[in-house]
Amino acid sequence: MLAPYLLSLPAGVWLLALFLVPLVVMLSLSLQSCNPATGACVLTWHWAEFGQQLSLYHTQFLTSFYFAGAATLIDLVVSFPIAYWIAFYGGSKKNFFLLMLLVPFFVSFVIRTVVWEFILSDQGVVLGALKHAHLLPQSFHVLGTGYAVVAGLAYNYLPFTALPLYVAIERIDRRVLDAAYDLYATKRAAFTRVILPLTIPGLFAAFLLTFIPALGDYVNQVILGGTNNTMIGTVIQNSFLVTLDYPGGSALSAVLLAIALIGIFAYARLLGTRTIEEYL
Amino acid sequence: MKDQDSPQPEERDSHTDPAIWRGLTQQRLSRRQLLASAGTGAGVLGLSAFLAACGVKGNAPAVSGSSPAGGVGTAAWWAKQKLHHTVNFANWPYYIDVLKGKHPTLEHFTQQTGIQVNYTEPINDNVAFYAKIRPSLAAGQYTGFDVIVMTNNTPNALGYLMQNRWLTPLDQSMMTNFYKYASPLVKNPSWDPGNKHTMAWQSGWTAIGYNSSVIKNPGTTVDVLFNKKYAGRVGMMSDLQELGSVGLLAIGVEPATSTESDWAKAAKKLQLQKSDGIVRAYYDQSYINHLKNGDTVVTQAWSGDIFQADLNSKYRDLKLLIPNEGAMFWTDNMCIPLYAQNPKDAMAVMDYFYQPQVQAVVEYYNDYVCPVPAAKQVLLHPTGWAQQALTAMKPEIGLPTSKTAYAPTVFPTPQAIQHSRSYYSFKSPEELTAWNNLFLPIVQGS
Repeated sequence: MLAPYLLSLPAGVWLLALFLVPLVVMLSLSLQSCNPATGACVLTWHWAEFGQQLSLYHTQFLTSFYFAGAATLIDLVVSFPIAYWIAFYGGSKKNFFLLMLLVPFFVSFVIRTVVWEFILSDQGVVLGALKHAHLLPQSFHVLGTGYAVVAGLAYNYLPFTALPLYVAIERIDRRVLDAAYDLYATKRAAFTRVILPLTIPGLFAAFLLTFIPALGDYVNQVILGGTNNTMIGTVIQNSFLVTLDYPGGSALSAVLLAIALIGIFAYARLLGTRTIEEYL
Repeated sequence: MKDQDSPQPEERDSHTDPAIWRGLTQQRLSRRQLLASAGTGAGVLGLSAFLAACGVKGNAPAVSGSSPAGGVGTAAWWAKQKLHHTVNFANWPYYIDVLKGKHPTLEHFTQQTGIQVNYTEPINDNVAFYAKIRPSLAAGQYTGFDVIVMTNNTPNALGYLMQNRWLTPLDQSMMTNFYKYASPLVKNPSWDPGNKHTMAWQSGWTAIGYNSSVIKNPGTTVDVLFNKKYAGRVGMMSDLQELGSVGLLAIGVEPATSTESDWAKAAKKLQLQKSDGIVRAYYDQSYINHLKNGDTVVTQAWSGDIFQADLNSKYRDLKLLIPNEGAMFWTDNMCIPLYAQNPKDAMAVMDYFYQPQVQAVVEYYNDYVCPVPAAKQVLLHPTGWAQQALTAMKPEIGLPTSKTAYAPTVFPTPQAIQHSRSYYSFKSPEELTAWNNLFLPIVQGS
């Protein structure tokens, strides 16, 4: 009788120790007042911290939204054909293609971003060649602009989009497609009226899985960005590592967490919790 | 045959126990519901208590007098200390001589004194390392290190350590080499009068690095960083101390004696530099890569980086400019954190590095500003053990020792010493917060 409970104990303990406890500590920290010199913190229920941090950094939040949103859209547009092709035409080599999609992830995140910095540098492989051929003015630069940051984000989070989309598209029963053709649907109509609606839960899941990590990213902007496109992830990192302002950083993290939760609850409401378990 | 499964209507009520009806119709507690309610209950009960317990009650630092509590660091306390023949030394990477994976100076030290040195390089960033050792110090425990190296321009690392009295005052009687050989730049410095807590390891300047093939005439002031001619190709440092100090120099104020209103004016000038589009980005130590590959043509730079870049023929155009307003002179300092288990051994190894022979070997690898001017002669005319070590290291380093000896970025000229400026010393966390609040928005605002 106790067996199911005992079986869930490892997962429960793991969740409790490594997820719930740090989460509660972080939320608690956002309400505390800390002495930055000694690190002594006292719980003072300082709710004003949230207001303060938001008023200081709302621009960075908006920048993060724009960049993460743009990167996610690019990823969705790019991943859909990839996932579609692997699911429908991959055949016996599906696993191989999925592996190819994941191989860049064996390299460290930071190193991949630094390589993009190298690729996009002013006199580098791409821009240097174009400038040499006089297709671009000499003062043209991509690094330091928002475009470089979005490109880096889109590249780094592509597998987060492609894999859930692949799972969603793979689940589509081929017979549904056959039925559509039987009913005189053109290829185009079959795609827009049969396949696309069936992949909507997958699209939503892929969107969430890409948008939320990209929102909190703190590597791409620092390496590829410039002076006026700081993202909220960098601000949080500075709060924890430079100014040692733990309550402020925790408050910002809590706000990010709230945004993520809103997204997930919207998903659950619109598409039901069963599909979350299928696609996540 | 009578069907046993379906009782006749007139027999149903008298044969079926009401308890069975209850069991069949009442709502059951499913496992999901049990876990959910148990979770909520436990959460509600434990949450507020747990939240309150999340607060960290750090050790209140001793504020009476200038020494830590318990008489640590006084002459009487030092007299009681003994050598344990082991010492844990934490330093920055690439900051000590290396020969085939070993350190000649440390081996020689062990040979001379019998003290084993556990040399590690865990320090990559002052504040991050301070955050790592702060919990131990706040709890009154050994940090695991007897000697650590902290830069003087980081108020929320070395500054906090000194404010909280978390450094063991040094044994002045064991600092014989120091008082005999140390350069005037590191003796009795402004951040540690009387060298009560620190002895310099190496120093450097934060000045201006520029590409001489692009900028033929950089001038002699910091205004080259604010010149609209190089808009979009100027690099600045993201470190708030460096950024703020160069801003103060640009408005003609000495950082060491500046006031809060000066800081506000400097912040305005830096903000203007940013909004005019002059700055390409605010870099950490990776600024040198951007100067090398041409993304920036003029940048705030550390003297050692420019020296090392010049060694490569491809980057010979990169030069260091020490402006008239001055270059910020920073020092990485050896200090002994409180509760160190091997303080006497720590003093021994710290003073050992002030022997000119030893500094010569360190400097040959390092090329930062040497705290021992006498090491120059050793590099030019090495003898004994130093000669052996230097000759052995030459193949890997590939330079004659005279190059290091004559480098102005290693043994500064009197003119360079004159142009060295000190950072502002913060007296309280509130002052530091004020500084950060002025300069942080420039780096991370938009």
